[in-house]
Amino acid sequence: MTALAPPAMGLRRGPGYWWHSYRMMVRWELTSLRLLLPVTVMVQILTGAGFVLCLGLFFGQVPPRAALFVSTGVIVVTLVTIGLVLGPQLIAQQKAQQTYDFLWSLPVPRTTAALAWVTTNLIFGLPGMAVALVVALLRYDLDLHVSPAIVPAVLLTLFTGTMIGYAVAHALGNPMLIAAVTQLLIFMVIGFSPINFPADQLPGWLAALHRWLPLAPMADTVRAGLTAGVVEDVTRSYLVLGAWGAASVGVTAAVLGRRG
Amino acid sequence: MTALAPTALRRGAGYWLVGYRAMLRFDLASSRDWLLTFLIVQVLMGAGMALIYGFYLGDMPSAAATFVATGAPTLATMPLGMALLPGLIAVRKIDDTYDFMWSLPVPRTATAASSFTIFTLLGLPGFAVSLAIAGWRYDLDLRVSLWIVPAVLLASLMSTSVGFGVGHAVPDPTITNVITNFLVFLVLLFSPIAFPIENFPGWLATIHRVLPFWHMANVIRDALTDGLVDFVWRSYLVLGAWTVGTWLLAAWAIRRQR
Repeated sequence: MTALAPPAMGLRRGPGYWWHSYRMMVRWELTSLRLLLPVTVMVQILTGAGFVLCLGLFFGQVPPRAALFVSTGVIVVTLVTIGLVLGPQLIAQQKAQQTYDFLWSLPVPRTTAALAWVTTNLIFGLPGMAVALVVALLRYDLDLHVSPAIVPAVLLTLFTGTMIGYAVAHALGNPMLIAAVTQLLIFMVIGFSPINFPADQLPGWLAALHRWLPLAPMADTVRAGLTAGVVEDVTRSYLVLGAWGAASVGVTAAVLGRRG
Repeated sequence: MTALAPTALRRGAGYWLVGYRAMLRFDLASSRDWLLTFLIVQVLMGAGMALIYGFYLGDMPSAAATFVATGAPTLATMPLGMALLPGLIAVRKIDDTYDFMWSLPVPRTATAASSFTIFTLLGLPGFAVSLAIAGWRYDLDLRVSLWIVPAVLLASLMSTSVGFGVGHAVPDPTITNVITNFLVFLVLLFSPIAFPIENFPGWLATIHRVLPFWHMANVIRDALTDGLVDFVWRSYLVLGAWTVGTWLLAAWAIRRQR
């Protein structure tokens, strides 16, 4: 009766098993998105470079401060749009096509699935980010001071953005609602957050609100890693951003745990 | 043998009008599903973009603020015809109801005329709301002239006609979506609607003198302000040419499918 023998439990835990599952899930994500990958990267590059270039059309003569803000802000936009917009829509699609439950039935730890998605977002986001920065350097005379702080800033921004999208997508049941929320989010990111422009150009109440939302801290931490003397009190930004990251992990864990 | 309907009824101006009225009712009834979406999209694109451009620009002199605010109604009008209408046609192709629409016993020109009427008129509330919000935000002193009526109607009809032409001429609905998304991107970031065309590099300005977006903004801005627009008749002519040109495109596309 070997057919009924339970699987060897020893294999299915521990760092080795986790690492193996993580690699499998990264491959899974990249393979299932292989058709979407080139299109998405192209869109990212076009919008990233587009934002940098269109500022010259908004102003006749672009002020250096505006150029610096949009050039550093657009990096944040390319980093978070996939996690905040594409991610939730993919999950909405899985819910609509009823493959959602299948994905969570895969024999891997759920943390590996989440981290594999963050990794995939990094792979999706980096080309657009790099091209936007190069275009900005070619187009404007930027005063950039790149410091090692850019690495934790980019990683924390990407992680938090992705996990917020993840939490929204898992917590909301209705695919149409997810689509509407993500559309509003992208509108908010591009137009109503102090990412591509300084906070003092927003109305006072909105700027005050953004001190407690994750978007402005994302821009502040990334900008602090690329410039000198532009961002004040970056520690606070890291704390706010970290709190949002932890909260969205908590929401996702609670929702997935309840399902499980 | 009364079963055969008398064919004499199925032609002539009277029959066309009956068909047109029936299609208007059909389109209005089906618009219940997307009317609210339309208004939201219009206000977001019109008033929302006017606010957003203001945030990017920071402190603006009042001339620049007038420019941005008078671009808002154009931004509100454009997506209705150029993005949502081809989107609806694409949905009909995906849902396989597209052929049904053309099988209705009305003249095809009546169906088309009904689309033009509905979409031109549905754009008006979003147009007004966007202008009101932008005017309030930038505290504008607008001089609205009677030219606003032909300007809005022509701008709206033109963008509906372009959307109608694209929606019918492009066979694959996925490609329609790519085209309309690209159009919206182009219009929001790279069009002289909320910004003077003098800011644009020469080659891009030349392209925009042929494309309809700048001319839409021109006729509407001319009806709202004094002295900001020169040679507005040229913009009316270009918009008229785009309207007629895309009607011909749609006629060719619809005939080909028969």
